[in-house]
Amino acid sequence: MYGMIHRAVRQMVFDELGEDAWLALEQKLDIGPSELLTGMVYDDALTIAIISEASARLNLSIDACLFEFGRYWIKYAERGPLAAIMNFTGQNLGSFIENLDRLHLAVSAAMPGVRLPSFTTISSAPGHLLVEYRSDRTGMEQFVTGLFDGLLTRFHATGDVTIAEHKASSIIFEIRYQDGI
Amino acid sequence: MLLTFSDQQIASLLPAYLHVDRSMIITAMGPAVRDHLPDIRIGMRCTDAFDFVHMDMDQFFDGTQDVKPVRLIARRGTMSLFGAAVFHEHGCLLAVRHALSEESMNSGSLHLSDFGHGDPVVLSTMLISLQRAMLEESQATAIELAAERERNAKVLERTSRVAGYLGHDFNNLLSIIRLNTDRLLRKFGDDEKISNLAHIIQETAARGSDITQSLMTLSQQQTDTLLPITIDDLIRGNDTFLNTVVGAGIEFDIDLQAGTAESVISYNGLLNCIINLLINAREAMPHGGRIALSTSITRGLVTSRSDGSDPEPGAYVAIRIADSGSGMSEALLSRAFEPLFSSKPNGTGLGLASVRDFAVEMGGDVWLESQAGEGTTVYLHLPLANPSAEAQKENEVGQSAQAPDDGARRILLVEDEPYALEALAEMLEAEGYSVTPCESGDQAMRALEQQSYHLLLTDIVMPGQDGTEIARQANLGQPSIKTILMSGYVPDSASLEPGWMFLRKPTDSNELLRLIASAF
Repeated sequence: MYGMIHRAVRQMVFDELGEDAWLALEQKLDIGPSELLTGMVYDDALTIAIISEASARLNLSIDACLFEFGRYWIKYAERGPLAAIMNFTGQNLGSFIENLDRLHLAVSAAMPGVRLPSFTTISSAPGHLLVEYRSDRTGMEQFVTGLFDGLLTRFHATGDVTIAEHKASSIIFEIRYQDGI
Repeated sequence: MLLTFSDQQIASLLPAYLHVDRSMIITAMGPAVRDHLPDIRIGMRCTDAFDFVHMDMDQFFDGTQDVKPVRLIARRGTMSLFGAAVFHEHGCLLAVRHALSEESMNSGSLHLSDFGHGDPVVLSTMLISLQRAMLEESQATAIELAAERERNAKVLERTSRVAGYLGHDFNNLLSIIRLNTDRLLRKFGDDEKISNLAHIIQETAARGSDITQSLMTLSQQQTDTLLPITIDDLIRGNDTFLNTVVGAGIEFDIDLQAGTAESVISYNGLLNCIINLLINAREAMPHGGRIALSTSITRGLVTSRSDGSDPEPGAYVAIRIADSGSGMSEALLSRAFEPLFSSKPNGTGLGLASVRDFAVEMGGDVWLESQAGEGTTVYLHLPLANPSAEAQKENEVGQSAQAPDDGARRILLVEDEPYALEALAEMLEAEGYSVTPCESGDQAMRALEQQSYHLLLTDIVMPGQDGTEIARQANLGQPSIKTILMSGYVPDSASLEPGWMFLRKPTDSNELLRLIASAF
């Protein structure tokens, strides 16, 4: 995955456990700032190793860590240099998810070699969304669940995100929510 | 080709589109107009809702063009749309889009849904925004990398300092063992058993010395032994190897005229310099040519003095290496000694820079003369250890009165380790020298006030005044005194002056005696 993700994991560990915990993780994995370059695409194995180490230090299972990281990624993106792009992508949950592929198109143009997932809204009704997720990566379901959960918080909504169906080449997520005030 | 699109399809491609009839009445509009300009309704006159910039509306439907560029500004608010007016039989499609900037992205006034799929303006504006975000993070990463490098440098510096001090302490102990074993051999060497045991101890101390050498490497100690070396002998002794460095296809002439003149230098240091200069000369002549290496004795100004005093004339051994290669332009010549600068595609830029560092450290100088197409000549000057009779006469006016002239060969010996001091004093006295042993800088200063000495032999790292400070004071008070420093560790604070000899601990008695003999 790309370095932006590594930076976000680092910030999450910083926020939750402090700088020393991250430095210990860096030492264990023998990584440093050169593995945190935003525009660089790194081997997925490295990303998984980082998340795995972070989960051990946060005392979470890897799935729980991925979920928390998905939630954290939304917070991280909206408070950093990506805030303008987040604002531009959508003004509510439905339009944001609807426009994710267009956002990813721009990211792909900026970072050749990046492999980004695709999100298609297959059903949209008030308080209910069915979104089809496609990716050439596996094992990221909990991360995506966390992302949608983070988006609910971003748009002041409450609700649940569940996996409705595992298809051969995609996963259907169901989001039931109530808009907040 | 005739294509028909539904309102929905047009809205997907151009969410801010408008359609007007030939009376300029709005008959349809896209969601991005409805969302941002709720006052505008179908059935309104378009010119009541928008100003058409630089457009004569009386001639809007003049029928001479199928497509016209248009820019619309909403009469209420600040909304601006631009694009094209596409005319047809019943009216006109205003295929326009919102103007997008980073500012409007930041403010959140416009969203992706306000633009059509594949709109290149969106893609490029997002690209700029993403790249700006990446640039910000890259700057943060650069700062982090610099901070990490600083952290690592500090750890390395601490480690190297600890290694240096450890090496120093070990070397002192090994030096005491070695000197006292030599002492044992001198006194009881005829006894076979004692002699065997002493050799075992010597051998073990030598192995210990190898270990401390590793610690010294870790502490980045690079001070080589500094001895008076006959430069012509050094070149003569390595001429076969130097010929190999120059290689076939290049004529290599050596003309040595410095005779027995010596410089106090590092043997390996000078050999490395000569090799570096020969490699540079060879690489300037890819198609062959001629290199001339010569030595002579010359006079000039001493260029490097730590006390900041004005340069004084001195005698040098001059080494000259001239090639018949491509030479250098003035611009290249001015940067030739710059570290990391190289005119060669695979050059490191370290060769000439290291030659200059060596020359300056040894109290000498190096410079180049070159012209494009006319070859290059390098001059490396190193101060003479024992100026020739004529030079010496000129150089030592007013100093000879201070040298002891009673026939005694007086040595001021300073060493804070009592066992090493005792062993050294005994060894030197046995060789016929008159030795004043001192355990500290204070004692040495008092001794210097009372008597003149031929030679100062001092340890470097000692409590209170270190050996280099003692040597500086001694040279100031008695300019004719020769100086030999010994240490297992030279701290950064202790810089050696050109002309001082340096011997690495653990001290080898025979080497020390040879060095002392050469100083008289």
